[in-house]
Amino acid sequence: MMGRTIFIDPGRCIGCRACVSACRECDSHRGTSLIHLDLSDEGHSAASLPTVCMHCEDPVAPCAEVCPADAILVTPDGVVQQADPTRCIGCSNCVNACPFGVPVVDTRARLQMKCDLCYDRTAHGLAPMCATVCPTGALFYGTLEELRAERPGVRVADSFAFGDVVLRTGVATVVPADKVDWPVPGGLPVVEVNGVDVP
Amino acid sequence: MSDPQAEARADVSGGIPGEQPAQARAGAPPAGDAPAGALPAGDAPSPASLRASSVATAVSLLLVLAIVLGSRVLRNFDAALLPYAVATVFLAFGVAYRYMLWLSAPASRCLLRQARRGVFFRVRALFSRASLSRARHPLRTAARQRARAETRATARAGGTAQAPAFTAQAPAFTAQAPAFTAQAPAITAQAPAFTAQAPAITAQEPVFRERPRARRIAHQLLLWGSALAVLITFPLTWGWISFTATSAAGPGYELRVWGYRLAGFDALSIPGWALFHALDLAAVLVIAGAGYFLWRRMRDRGALTGQRFAYDLVPLLALIVVAVTGLLLTFSSLVLRGGGYEFLALLHMASVVFALIYLPFGKFFHVVQRPAATGMRRAAHPAAPAAQDGAAVLVCRRCEEPIGAASAIEDLRTTMRELDLGFDEWAEYCPRCKRQLRGAAYLTQVKKGYV
Amino acid sequence: MSPPGSGETLVPTHCCFCGVQCGMYLRVDRRGKVFGVEPRDHDINRMRLCAKGIEAYQQINHPDRLTSPLLRRTRDEPFRPASWEEALDLTAAEMRRIQDAHGRDAFAVLGGSGLTTEKAYLVGKFARVALGTRHVDHNGSLCTAAAATANHLAFGIDRAANPFSDILLSDCLLIAGANIGDTFPVLTRYLWGARDRGAHLVVVDPRETAVARTADVHVALRPGTDTAFFNAVLHVVDRDGLTDRAFLDAHTTGWEELRKTVAAYPPERAVAVCGIPAEQVERVAALFGAARNAMAWHTRGIEQHPRGADTCLSVINLCAATGNLGRPGAGYGTIAGQGNGQGGREHGQQYDTLPGGRSITDPAHRRATAALWGIEEAELPEAGTPMAEMTGQMRRGEIRGLLGLGNNALVTLPDHSSAQAAYDALDFHVQCDSFLSETAAHAHVVLPVATWAEDEGVMTNAEARVVKHNKAQDPPPGVRTDTWVLCQLALRLGHGDRFAFAGSREVFDELRTATAGAPVDYSGITYERLAETGGIAWPCPSTDHPGTPRLFEDGRTRHPDGAVHLHPVEWREPADPYDDAYPMTFTTGRAAAHYLSDTHQPPNLPRTKGS
Repeated sequence: MMGRTIFIDPGRCIGCRACVSACRECDSHRGTSLIHLDLSDEGHSAASLPTVCMHCEDPVAPCAEVCPADAILVTPDGVVQQADPTRCIGCSNCVNACPFGVPVVDTRARLQMKCDLCYDRTAHGLAPMCATVCPTGALFYGTLEELRAERPGVRVADSFAFGDVVLRTGVATVVPADKVDWPVPGGLPVVEVNGVDVP
Repeated sequence: MSDPQAEARADVSGGIPGEQPAQARAGAPPAGDAPAGALPAGDAPSPASLRASSVATAVSLLLVLAIVLGSRVLRNFDAALLPYAVATVFLAFGVAYRYMLWLSAPASRCLLRQARRGVFFRVRALFSRASLSRARHPLRTAARQRARAETRATARAGGTAQAPAFTAQAPAFTAQAPAFTAQAPAITAQAPAFTAQAPAITAQEPVFRERPRARRIAHQLLLWGSALAVLITFPLTWGWISFTATSAAGPGYELRVWGYRLAGFDALSIPGWALFHALDLAAVLVIAGAGYFLWRRMRDRGALTGQRFAYDLVPLLALIVVAVTGLLLTFSSLVLRGGGYEFLALLHMASVVFALIYLPFGKFFHVVQRPAATGMRRAAHPAAPAAQDGAAVLVCRRCEEPIGAASAIEDLRTTMRELDLGFDEWAEYCPRCKRQLRGAAYLTQVKKGYV
Repeated sequence: MSPPGSGETLVPTHCCFCGVQCGMYLRVDRRGKVFGVEPRDHDINRMRLCAKGIEAYQQINHPDRLTSPLLRRTRDEPFRPASWEEALDLTAAEMRRIQDAHGRDAFAVLGGSGLTTEKAYLVGKFARVALGTRHVDHNGSLCTAAAATANHLAFGIDRAANPFSDILLSDCLLIAGANIGDTFPVLTRYLWGARDRGAHLVVVDPRETAVARTADVHVALRPGTDTAFFNAVLHVVDRDGLTDRAFLDAHTTGWEELRKTVAAYPPERAVAVCGIPAEQVERVAALFGAARNAMAWHTRGIEQHPRGADTCLSVINLCAATGNLGRPGAGYGTIAGQGNGQGGREHGQQYDTLPGGRSITDPAHRRATAALWGIEEAELPEAGTPMAEMTGQMRRGEIRGLLGLGNNALVTLPDHSSAQAAYDALDFHVQCDSFLSETAAHAHVVLPVATWAEDEGVMTNAEARVVKHNKAQDPPPGVRTDTWVLCQLALRLGHGDRFAFAGSREVFDELRTATAGAPVDYSGITYERLAETGGIAWPCPSTDHPGTPRLFEDGRTRHPDGAVHLHPVEWREPADPYDDAYPMTFTTGRAAAHYLSDTHQPPNLPRTKGS
């Protein structure tokens, strides 16, 4: 995980969508919200999950690797940027390759957009908009020490398992103490049991 | 508005000549040392890099040959323009090198493969109106088709279906009144609102905005101004175009290409004047376009927040300097009777050489790269999939929302496997399902509640 | 974050929408127009905001803003734009005409708790001094009447007993009838902070809301049965000896009566009435009773019932019996919903109150207020009727004219067809609003007034903390403030000398004087002190008094005997019980993105199809 990064705790999320509104206010992509807020158990409970770009570390930025136009750049501190509009051809390779479902493509302008950790804010020591306003702390921005100061004993994980591939991310996820050594399940493989998908 | 990190980012994009340009895999420091997907770490130059160098060298040599031959073995070559010609050779090397390097990465190589397939078997489609026009993204077409089909189906069914009578079920509801029934309708009632709000790649809602008209116009000015300038100056410096006088004193001139007489014109006529001053027109267009962009980058909040000096501002400044110094040359010859011409000529030459050598490594590489990438994409996946051809658009395995052209997804999976990204099966799910499945997995396997 | 050279300023203010009153900055461009929001590290919310607060600024320069008065003689005509002179003259003339023909009480004023406290004060003063009518009320009485009644009965004062920060110090939190996650999202952080320290969370709510989903105990009882539940919990608390006898003896009255009443509420009764397992009653009693410091917070979910005040009293009884009042982390509160839900009901905008929380029926209070306003005590009208009753009076023709401001009653009143009929029956209706709301669209005269960001003023949040809203931009040309409108009308009614206010500051100064020595004392609060401190909780009797974040620290309530009055309450069957024809209960929920009727303008707040 990156030194100063976002920590996501879905258990604390209340689905209020403040992050969605705040993301829209970031000057570098004003008017478009790039964070996703999904109901993990739709129709059954209020459980919700915010999704920001995970700024994958290993492999580095699969989205960038599959980009045929060399449009997605990564800063030395590991922040994966949005596709450069002068290069992006809107082919949606990154949209389909990203295992976290992060990038979106404006089909009209044929340009990709995605969370860039509010780079114009984080490059100046401010937190990204989503983590700044999150009313519950489900999105927290800072170092692990700062998180621990607020939540003593909190444990985090920064790797995800997709099938038998393990992907290490720049953004971390809060896990219970007994799940620290496992990668967080990414949702793959999806097996059908009695006609119902079981991740 | 630059900072060290942003500067380093410019390096990663290959902004400084002599550094290796990157295909985004910039995992390890130091900045600028960013190997492309196929390159191993270490000191030895990679195969891709060697290949790119040899192709670039060949291209440069070919250009030199072309210059020599085209100028009638240097007879029409103007020695005073030698630095310009040399700069163009460097430009050719840089462009070819970066181009080859770009194409060697798995993703672009894959797209090129698809494009070649497309060109050979869909030549007609390539030149069809649908392909040449501003091709709509396949998902927008798919969404439209679906909407039309739905409207037809509803019209046929004669309106919405009747709600099933629920009075018979009432006693069961009273017994259950607490948690369940009051809960589910609230959630599902909310869900449609939220999905409608999600930034849609199926283009349910026109949430995004295209580039505003002012930017498009400014870009056209910049484009055509630069194109005009290149069209005139490159052949001139190569000695491919020359002007000869028809007589010793008269106003008649001849325009010669590769030594062959193309047209004769009167230097004092309006077409003649326009021809001689075409470069000035180009300069005006460039200044208008680049000037707008520079102004925008000083005022527009969206631009101000992310821009980098080397990557965003230097190219604009370079073009403006080239254009301004060029105009000053005309100014000098027309108004100052040639005063200061030598100095201005030197200045102009220096700025042009800088701009040409810088071009392959900065933002303006998109001049070469973007048409190539767009062309490849169009050849590989021509515009609208056939209306009745369901196989042309792949739908999500879970929710059946269209996610893209089937051939594109298939090729993407191949690319992913080539890159050792073993989760290519995930590419057949739409982003929302990916997120929901991951959320559900977290709930069931990691943490259901608060702690 | 603002890039250098962009010429923008940040104006510190608070969100207008709910009783938390989160601090935020409004971003103002170099032309003086609000164009964005920036989080602010204010004591209450520490940079946090919910979707409404983030999107709120989009209302300000919205294209649908009204920019000129509109008027029409009858509702059959379309509106035509008019000058302020014409509109105000017509309004004043109609006021006189109706009052001359049908008596002073034939003209009513309906305010709102979205108005700043200065304006709310002016609404009350205008009704009673300029119009001399007894009919004045506000939309807040629709919501907070039950809790206000209960609070007055038990404590003699109507406000939350503890600040939000006490939540962090608590060991057991009981949240009843409150969907915190959707209605006060920022408060969730306080709940989570307490839980991180090991506090238990009990949520009493028929629905599994987002906060209820992860609570330690979620009591999903049948709607309308909360009184039975809390009585049962108190029964178990008493049975297991978890009551605080010392506190009961020293600071309460009525315990023996109460004890006898809850003896009839064993857990089995809660099972039968509420439809919950008995062990939940036991568990909640154990958690709440045994906790060192426990708090109970509730909102409209348990209050908006035919016997809502009883339910609130049953919660108060539980807190008092366990000695959980007046200590850090131990206490009670009802969370006011509207931005100025607390402040809007304190200073005379309500049918039965006078400024400073005084009572309009108390002779001493009446004399004090009359003296302050420069009128005879006999001229001060009697108590009026609550808003819900006023609609009946409008229908019957007892009220013929109405001035409405700070509300959208046609949408927010229950029983829409009756409300519609009531408004239709009015001879004359003038409404002040920034947009052509449903209510304004139904009026005879519409007066365009400024939004919350275009005037300074104070609001009081649910902790009874007074916070300062600052002016971020000038209103568009043709738009005036509610203050100016009321003063102009008063001028035309012959009371200009009592309404000579240049702006909010002057009104606030009068308000301070008006509340000196009253139960709700603002006299020590100034705009400057608010700017320095970020908010001051009343009572604040002098300018060097720090305010009163926590009540009852000395164990004394506002009753003359200083005790908490315990009232035994019985659970009663609902007025319309289940039967074969009506076997279901519908309970209203909330959406995090919307509030009252005024959040439909910001384009990015989610909406369901067709709404």
